[in-house]
Amino acid sequence: MPDLPTLRPALAGEPALDSTTIALQALPEGHLLQIMGATERAVVEAAIAAAGLEGSDVREAGYRQWYVVGDKQLSSKTLRELTSALPAGTFLSDQSHGRVRIRLSGPHATKLLSTGTAVDLHDAAFPEGRSAITLFGHLSVHLTRKSAAGFELIVLRSFAEALYEELHAHAA
Amino acid sequence: MSSHRLSTGGQIDRARSVKFTFDGKALTGHPGDTLASALLANGIQLVGRSFKYHRPRGILTAGAAEPNALVTTGTGGRTEANTRATMIELHDGLNARSQNRWPSLGFDIGAVNGLLSPFLSAGFYYKTFMWPAGFWEKVYEPLIRKAAGLGKASYEADPDSYEKCWAHCDLLVIGAGPSGLAAALTAGRAGARVLLADEGFAFGGTLLTDRDARLSAMLAELEALPNVQCLPRTTVIGWYDDNVFGAVERVQKHVAEPDPGQPVERLWRIIAKQAILASGAEERPLVFGGNDIPGVMMAGAMRSYLNRQAVAPGKRVAVFTTNNAGYRTAADLEAAGVDVAAIVDPRATNEPGWNGKAKVLTNACIVDALGGKSVSGVSIAGASGVQRFEADAVAMSGGWSPVIHLACHRGAKPVWSDTHAAFLAPERQEGLSLAGAAAGLWSTEACLSDGSRKAAEALQLLGFAKVEPAFAEADAAQPAATPFWFAKGSKGKAFVDYQNDVNLKDLGLAVREGYGDVELAKRYTTNGMATDQGKLSNINAIGILAEARGVSPADVGTTTFRPFYTPVSFGALTGASRGKHFQPVRKSPLHDWAKKNGATFVETGLWYRAAWFPRAGETTWRESVDREVLNIRKNAGICDVSTLGKIEIFGRDAATFLDRVYCNGFAKLPVGKARYGIMLREDGMIYDDGTTSRFSDDHFFMTTTTALAAGVLTHLEFCAQTLWPELEVHFASSTDQWAQMAVAGPKSRAILSEIVDEDISDAAFPFMSARTVSLFGGKLEGRLFRISFSGELAYELGVPAGYGESVADAIMQTGEKHGICAYGAEALGVMRIEKGHVTHAEINGTVTPGDLGFGRMVSTTKPDFIGKVMLAREGMQASDRPRLVGVKPLDPKASFRTGSHILSDGAAATLENDQGYVTSSCYSPNLGHTIGLALIKNGPERIGEKVMIWNGLRNEFTDGVICSPVFIDPENEKLHA
Repeated sequence: MPDLPTLRPALAGEPALDSTTIALQALPEGHLLQIMGATERAVVEAAIAAAGLEGSDVREAGYRQWYVVGDKQLSSKTLRELTSALPAGTFLSDQSHGRVRIRLSGPHATKLLSTGTAVDLHDAAFPEGRSAITLFGHLSVHLTRKSAAGFELIVLRSFAEALYEELHAHAA
Repeated sequence: MSSHRLSTGGQIDRARSVKFTFDGKALTGHPGDTLASALLANGIQLVGRSFKYHRPRGILTAGAAEPNALVTTGTGGRTEANTRATMIELHDGLNARSQNRWPSLGFDIGAVNGLLSPFLSAGFYYKTFMWPAGFWEKVYEPLIRKAAGLGKASYEADPDSYEKCWAHCDLLVIGAGPSGLAAALTAGRAGARVLLADEGFAFGGTLLTDRDARLSAMLAELEALPNVQCLPRTTVIGWYDDNVFGAVERVQKHVAEPDPGQPVERLWRIIAKQAILASGAEERPLVFGGNDIPGVMMAGAMRSYLNRQAVAPGKRVAVFTTNNAGYRTAADLEAAGVDVAAIVDPRATNEPGWNGKAKVLTNACIVDALGGKSVSGVSIAGASGVQRFEADAVAMSGGWSPVIHLACHRGAKPVWSDTHAAFLAPERQEGLSLAGAAAGLWSTEACLSDGSRKAAEALQLLGFAKVEPAFAEADAAQPAATPFWFAKGSKGKAFVDYQNDVNLKDLGLAVREGYGDVELAKRYTTNGMATDQGKLSNINAIGILAEARGVSPADVGTTTFRPFYTPVSFGALTGASRGKHFQPVRKSPLHDWAKKNGATFVETGLWYRAAWFPRAGETTWRESVDREVLNIRKNAGICDVSTLGKIEIFGRDAATFLDRVYCNGFAKLPVGKARYGIMLREDGMIYDDGTTSRFSDDHFFMTTTTALAAGVLTHLEFCAQTLWPELEVHFASSTDQWAQMAVAGPKSRAILSEIVDEDISDAAFPFMSARTVSLFGGKLEGRLFRISFSGELAYELGVPAGYGESVADAIMQTGEKHGICAYGAEALGVMRIEKGHVTHAEINGTVTPGDLGFGRMVSTTKPDFIGKVMLAREGMQASDRPRLVGVKPLDPKASFRTGSHILSDGAAATLENDQGYVTSSCYSPNLGHTIGLALIKNGPERIGEKVMIWNGLRNEFTDGVICSPVFIDPENEKLHA
């Protein structure tokens, strides 16, 4: 029997950036679950609470689509519990490896993002907790405002390196 | 020297000097100068040669419409041709050169064209260079391009960086003249998010020229408002759908050494809830003989140079005007101590209120400006005949044309107004209103009032409660304008379009020859083309055409305004998408695994796919591929297939849904099984193919081809959302979730058995099984599929992407004793051709399932599926359609190429005799010769027929024979092993 398989994060080896104006870092590849079918946020929140995932963040990801994200890796068992906690007509697709989370923050974060996204990032138009699916340049991203000057971008794993390097180049 | 700097006045910083060069000559100016004003201040009035006749040309305007003073700036990769001297902010180290002259600006051989001008009238090229036809491209055009022309682009890479960005606002104000400033102040005070853009480096517009005392307070207030963003040096270039505006900001075009951390230009895409176009009005030139001699200038431009940069155009100026603008210029010239030789006004009475020294000649016009490289005098025709006046400069004003280009970018048509003697755009369109001079208001007070009012209106539309206009209502009454299209009796050439050397006679000729329609006249004479797009010339040309045709300008109409308003650099349009960042790279989770195993990669769309894995001693790709193929068929191989599209399909109605999108049945697919599916388009042709597996009653897993992964997901969403919204079905792309590897070859089961915990014997896990499996003694879960593209006993194993490299390593490690090798897309291709499996080389958009031998897969029992109706058409079922077969050379040593055509034996090599073509081909290391798949008329009925394989491009002929498309294991014994 070969060795225990080891996890290799998509952005392993990409340097974090932390300047006075911009901070950029890859977030832990914990869990990212795509929930489909539920119309209400509360339904998703109830299901993740039932599965003991109170710390996870629920984000809008399109019509009747949600992302449940968190830093903790989930076992197959937990996923099955969560799946069975979902009401009929609501489905779960594990995307913990398919999507990668990147954190971008700092006083210049909004300016940097506006070079790539057409989303209005003014505090009033895109307050804390708001999410949008948009493009950053050529790449599709799911964008969430986490704080006044802090954002999280979710990108397809295959494009994570390209996005990270592009953000890094813009920020440098 | 006639133009010169005055000893006092102007809005320049006289304490500092700026060093620059023009045609190699070292010169100085001051901050606040443009290149144009600095050249004039240095007495340089000759700055370029005209496009066709190489006539000496000077500076005509002080703004974006400049047609003459085009220069090349910068050196090396920073070389920029055809920049307008009037728009270049003077900076230290500026290196500017004149264009279109040889050997020098002063002595230009090309000026001989002027002597040939009787032969070079409108349509000359069309008439003269018609025969022989082949000469146009090879001889005439290169010669003409060499003689006529503008600046030359650099071949060196641009060292600077560019940026694109998005902006949002409640109100975008375009133009920071009196109307724009009033609008921005009104909206800014009301708390709206305001963006104020102006193409100049200083805000103020005519308030700068007027030296209006209110300006500095207005600017200070705007600066202090946090909700107002000011964008100087920013030209709004286009108005697009959804009220998106394009703008180019010249961030660092005015600095000696650009800061490498900042872009030199920034392309803005501005999403405005409301916008106000306060772009002002363009002064119209007057058409008279010699109106292009250096020293002839727009009256407003002359006044701008005088008041902003303290530059006098000469010592004695003749003013030719149809409106009060010329009088304003004359007054300011006199105040600055410059003589005004005469004010020539074609109207019957002079402008009321003139109390200057200069004599006013009414009912008169300048028929000719005299001189060569500078003005020496003018000929004035009046009541008492033609008189000659000494003058070294001429100011002209033919009235004002509102700058309405942006307002017409989305289809609105300009409408002629007799009272304005100008074309106006609709004053209010959804999301955009015109203010001030752009709306045909000429006085400063009227513009301040109109800008305030329009901003208040716009904000009220956005729900702002009470908005206080920044300026009070003003009397908008103004006298009717009198159009004056050209001076009669000119001796010299009277230019209408300076940039294209179109003169009055050319337009007359166009009308006489039947090209009087405004669109035809433009193409026939080239009036209104090139970099200035007729900003100065179009309205005069329309007036002249109208007069020649005996109709109103309203009947002539305008040509179409299209973005961009002014030329935009490729750099700005490219933004940061250059070099490494030209397009994103898409990497498989097994990319680094392939890399460390020595893969050579090939770009497939954005993906980088491993193509083959060369080993020591292999010198050609074929050696590597042949080895990989032979080894897989003998032992085993592992290949990264993660790039194939993967879609999770959930929902109560998922099975019904799949039954409708595939032409074959899926509703009864058992849980734990995979099935090959063919998806048709509505027209009955195949769209995509792949396998779909069932993991539970309401959960399917679809694979697509790499190329159409995104397309298929979009197609599924479209079907679910618009065709069958009643079906409960949800989709999630999981392409990136899984590292997917194909393990193929007779030893594949033995290798995988060491990793997969479950029994995968043929009995427990037969062909087309698909299940979630436990791996590594329960340490990981994956998905195992018994499917085969190669025709071998084969599996595909999917594991969560982050574990991909580690699992592939483990398979290589356990497979070592079984002789496993890594293989790439090339070997994959060879094996699928050997097995007769199709890809998009065969699924070329014109084939039906029947054409590829899948006719019997198409369901006859399903009530409906996409493509069903059209597939039943007669032509789609015809037996002589090109259908899939194999081809091979008669002589195994002979070869042929993909794309070659098939001819019946003995038929001549003509397209009429075409029987079909080779869709895929390769060298089969198992068979020892070239093999191919082909789409051939009646193909399956012709197996065994001798044909000629013809490559018309390379003139290659190969004797071949039609055969079965399955070259290896037609009984599928390997597959089911």
